[in-house]
Amino acid sequence: MNQGQTERHSVSLTVNDRAVEAEVEPRLSLADFLRRHLDLVGTHLGCEQGACGACTVLVDGQSVRACLMLTVQADGTTVETVEGLATNGELHPVQEAFRTKQGLQCGFCTPGMLMRSLELIRDNRGITAEQAREGLASNMCRCTGYQYIVEAVVEAASNMDTEVNQ
Amino acid sequence: MKAPPFGYRRVSSAAEAADALRELGSDARILAGGQSLLPMLSVRIASPSHLVDIGRADDLRHITADNGSLRIGAAATQWSVENDQATTAAAPLLADAISRAGQVPIRHRGTVVGSIAHADPSAEIPAAVLASGATLIAASTGSEREISADDFFQGPYMTALEEGELLREVRIDRWPDGTGHAFEEFSHSHESWPVVTAAVLVLLNGGTIDRVAIAMSGVDGRPVRAGQAEHELTGQAPTPELLAEAAQSATRDLEPFSDVFGSGRYRKRVATALVRRALTTATTRAGGGA
Amino acid sequence: MTIPDVREHTTEKNWIGKSIPRLEDRRFLLGKGGYIDDLVLPNMLEVALVRSIYPHARIVSIDTSEAEALPGVAAVVTGAQAAEMTDPLPDFGPDPENHPWRCLAVDKVRYNGEGVVAIAAESRAIAEDAAELVVIEYEPLEPIVDPMAAKEDGSPLVHETLGTNIAFHREFTFGEVDADFEGADRIISDTLHWGRSGGQPIETVGAVADYDDASGMMSIHANSLSFTSYLFMLAGTLRVPSNKLDMHPVSAGGSFGSKLWEVKTPTIAGMLSRLCGRPVKFLQDRMENISNGDHHGSDRRYEVDLAVMNDGTLRSIKITTVEDYGAYIQFGVGHHGNALAQVTGPYKMSSVYYDVTAVLTNKCQQGAYRGFGSEVGNWVLERMVDLAAAELEMDPAEIRRRNFLEPDQFPYFIPTGNVYDSGDYGGVLDKALELADYAGWRQRQTEARAEGRNVGIGICTCQERSVFSATEFWFWFDEPGAPVSSMPESVTLDVDALGNITATLYSCAMWGNSPETMVAQLVGEEFDVDPQTVNVVYASSNQGLPATGPGGSRFTVMVAGAVEVASAKIKKKGAAIAAHLLEANVEDLTWVNGGFEVAGTPTARMELADIAIQAHLFKHGLPEEIESGLEASHVYDHPYTTMPNDDRTDLGVFYPFMGHACHIAVVEVDPDTGKVDFLDYAAVHDCGTMVNPRSLCGHIVGGTAQGIGTSLLEEFVYDDDGVLQTPSFAEYVIPTSMDVPELKIGHQETPSPYTPHGIKGGGEAGRMMAPAAISAAIDDALRDHGVRVRRLPATPERIVDWIDGGG
Repeated sequence: MNQGQTERHSVSLTVNDRAVEAEVEPRLSLADFLRRHLDLVGTHLGCEQGACGACTVLVDGQSVRACLMLTVQADGTTVETVEGLATNGELHPVQEAFRTKQGLQCGFCTPGMLMRSLELIRDNRGITAEQAREGLASNMCRCTGYQYIVEAVVEAASNMDTEVNQ
Repeated sequence: MKAPPFGYRRVSSAAEAADALRELGSDARILAGGQSLLPMLSVRIASPSHLVDIGRADDLRHITADNGSLRIGAAATQWSVENDQATTAAAPLLADAISRAGQVPIRHRGTVVGSIAHADPSAEIPAAVLASGATLIAASTGSEREISADDFFQGPYMTALEEGELLREVRIDRWPDGTGHAFEEFSHSHESWPVVTAAVLVLLNGGTIDRVAIAMSGVDGRPVRAGQAEHELTGQAPTPELLAEAAQSATRDLEPFSDVFGSGRYRKRVATALVRRALTTATTRAGGGA
Repeated sequence: MTIPDVREHTTEKNWIGKSIPRLEDRRFLLGKGGYIDDLVLPNMLEVALVRSIYPHARIVSIDTSEAEALPGVAAVVTGAQAAEMTDPLPDFGPDPENHPWRCLAVDKVRYNGEGVVAIAAESRAIAEDAAELVVIEYEPLEPIVDPMAAKEDGSPLVHETLGTNIAFHREFTFGEVDADFEGADRIISDTLHWGRSGGQPIETVGAVADYDDASGMMSIHANSLSFTSYLFMLAGTLRVPSNKLDMHPVSAGGSFGSKLWEVKTPTIAGMLSRLCGRPVKFLQDRMENISNGDHHGSDRRYEVDLAVMNDGTLRSIKITTVEDYGAYIQFGVGHHGNALAQVTGPYKMSSVYYDVTAVLTNKCQQGAYRGFGSEVGNWVLERMVDLAAAELEMDPAEIRRRNFLEPDQFPYFIPTGNVYDSGDYGGVLDKALELADYAGWRQRQTEARAEGRNVGIGICTCQERSVFSATEFWFWFDEPGAPVSSMPESVTLDVDALGNITATLYSCAMWGNSPETMVAQLVGEEFDVDPQTVNVVYASSNQGLPATGPGGSRFTVMVAGAVEVASAKIKKKGAAIAAHLLEANVEDLTWVNGGFEVAGTPTARMELADIAIQAHLFKHGLPEEIESGLEASHVYDHPYTTMPNDDRTDLGVFYPFMGHACHIAVVEVDPDTGKVDFLDYAAVHDCGTMVNPRSLCGHIVGGTAQGIGTSLLEEFVYDDDGVLQTPSFAEYVIPTSMDVPELKIGHQETPSPYTPHGIKGGGEAGRMMAPAAISAAIDDALRDHGVRVRRLPATPERIVDWIDGGG
């Protein structure tokens, strides 16, 4: 394919409960699509090679690196990003736990951490600190040393468990 | 770090994929999960003309166990394989290896067959596949051939696949009940690139080793079997001394490459330790007392 | 300046000392952080660089024609062309005219990854497409990689005009070094090497420049650049009047020092915006940040002699160090000034010899990384104390305790002239030993060793200097070009008509620290308002007051001083208004729980909001001399610095607010692979009065995690040919959650007698200590193998080599 040539493909997907249709270049990553085409700039790029996890979103319920997925591959999928967590300005229990536990400092890894944490909690409402620590090893944080993120995940799971039981 | 431009075609079957490869020529590449390919595009060390996306090909997503064989299609994700009961029953070594292969979000997208085809000389899955004596099924338009894992890996990122061929499936013949397995890995951080891995299968019979397979990655340009060590172990009672000697034997003739993750000398030392540990664990799991 | 007055600190505080949730966090949790890459201006171009594949090469020719012809490309600028549009980047180093530093390389490249060509295009992807079309012919030159070889005569030169690769050399003697060594029972000597790591925040450096040809205003949004008072230097580089450069602070996704003075990115963006007449974004990618980010950390080789007595008393230390600065030296040897602030640690030592040689090589240059060079000094001193303990067969805790300064010795002037304001080092050690269950671990260690396990315990007791003076950047020179001595911080507090308070800050935006929370808690303390109701905003530099910004653990102390005085100004005016309206004497008014009341008559009272609406709206109800509004600004200067003396035998007071910490690490080493696992980790810190303990703990854990990376994992590796072997996060390995232990954290609060509320800085935290504790623990674990950690990072391969080599 020659430089500058732009073949485009149409995609339709669901992002945070909203149906989205677009024409995109094959090379456009899901991360760049979210950020530049949908203005969902909460999904961050830290390394663009899948190492850091700042761009982690959920695709069909599973955490993925949005930098390592082409938008054309996301055609027909359901994508959840950090922007979909809060409802009517009220923080999601995972966000609230990060806030009260100070599970963030600069906030840059936070959206990816939140989405990965949400997945961990969905899979395991009784998640222990050890399990949370192991599960979070997929995402790099340079500020916190992870300790309060681990605490936040356990706290959020506990709170969400209570909410469900009520 | 944005990918260079390329064309894109999504296919719905293995046959369509093979046809697309034939039609689009040698600069087209298969895109499965993309977890190896897309980072290469991001730093522009690969510049394919087209990507042929097999991710939605229904006849490539299978994970099936029948007649003692586990078959994994080219589009089956690592996560689906490692959490598949047929896999954990038939090929627990592979399941262990996958669980060490990259972070969970990577394994949600990455495929087992894609990792094999990528042939990173340090990667986990190729080592497990080699130890398991797997068979790789290569498909091209109108034809198909089987390649043994021993023959498949030819060098760093080089395989026996030929132009126009798609690696359609990996088939792993199940080892007998009672087989012990172990997968050991050394990496710098918990989630960083594997430096050296060791994959071991051991079957005991009446207190002696009936059958054993040892494979390593990160010690050569491709994953390697330790044939001499396997030979020395077979028919012997697995004492700690014997396993340690076999581990020495497994790495004696290796001359591993050096890079920023470890010198050749270090890789050899670590491989010896990992093989010894894997042999010990696998033997214990097989019911032996080593 | 003599010693400032000792302040009385009240222990009754409403908001200081409370772990309130941070004000910053809601926007980050919602994904609305407002980072630099989130900013997209209409018609904006994006930049990619062509970077050098060679460590050292002459640029023979550059052909940009194909790149320029690519659709979507707006401009392609070579280093030579950039040099016609910009002046050299601001450089605080020695002799900068002989090693000029430019935004793109001119004539020759000096390290693998240096920028050579900049491309502005409609998208970053197109800019990268164009970068592939630029054809550069290089003439490779011999790479200069080893600093020890580079400093010798006859070495090829990084900068020919300098005539040497030695950018700086000087020796200092503080106190009676020779006498102290002659009187010592033993001289303990060693050779040490601290390897090159860096902050590597998850967000890289970026800038969006928007030059307005009509007004001549150069507006730049950037996530880098502390040192607000020095932005006029960037204006000079961009060739715009200093009052036409307007820097807009943007929240940074972490810095750890690495965004402190990243001027290259805003320069390239500004240059291209002016050239193209459009807004331009330049965001480094990860590989640019690693290879071309101008902020690698220290890379030092040491020869050290420690004079000790047989009872463990430390007398004096001689330090000779060679620093591998890379291809440029933007901060001079300020990193060593930092180390000299606390060179004797928490110990009574009467003299110091310090010899520093700064060498230029073909590597990315150093900048700032959490500790700014003092963390290296901590490691070196603690390595030597451990060696002394080993040779004297003393317990590592006891040799330290024996040499600690006592609480009644403060303020204490160390041999270099810097002062330690306060401390209780024995108290910290006691707490740490208890928190770590040191005695219990020694018992468990004995049991583990009997099983053949290599378990070790390491202790360190280290200083954490805070709130620097500008003097550390020039006291190296006999005739400094600019012996600056101002490093102020400013704030404006504005009480609106309803009594709601807005605080305006004047330095760079939040970069992972908690400036908004700190200011809100301080304002809450002054005015008895809930900190969550305080609005905190950042002014752009053109609207600014003098400010410096974070760095050297200074921000909280300095902004506390600014808030204190600005609050007093508002209260003074408020008291005048209240006195008038209450028909009372102002002397009879006291501030009680959010308002003024007449002493003894609590019903005669005005709340802040009542006063504020009068101040804003009812001019004729007030005395003639009272102006409308209720706001005040204050420019707060460093409360305690002094100038160095002429011959530099006394460097003056330049880093007086001295924190302290004890870390205890328990590790197990796998002798087959050299892998180090943590079994336990305890940290007790004393940085004076805590404003938000939870946030401080976050810095302690996060700093310790970075210290673990520095100790075990992280290194920018250049091979013998000068090629960077760690260009991405695949090779430059950062600790994950599984590589960092759960910390046990303890605190001691020894207030500073000289700062508002007794606060000391604490932001650099764990990275100042962890390498010393971890190194000692590894030694202890492998003592049967004779291993001593002399080099960081102690990678698994190095550890097995030390085991094989008997240490």
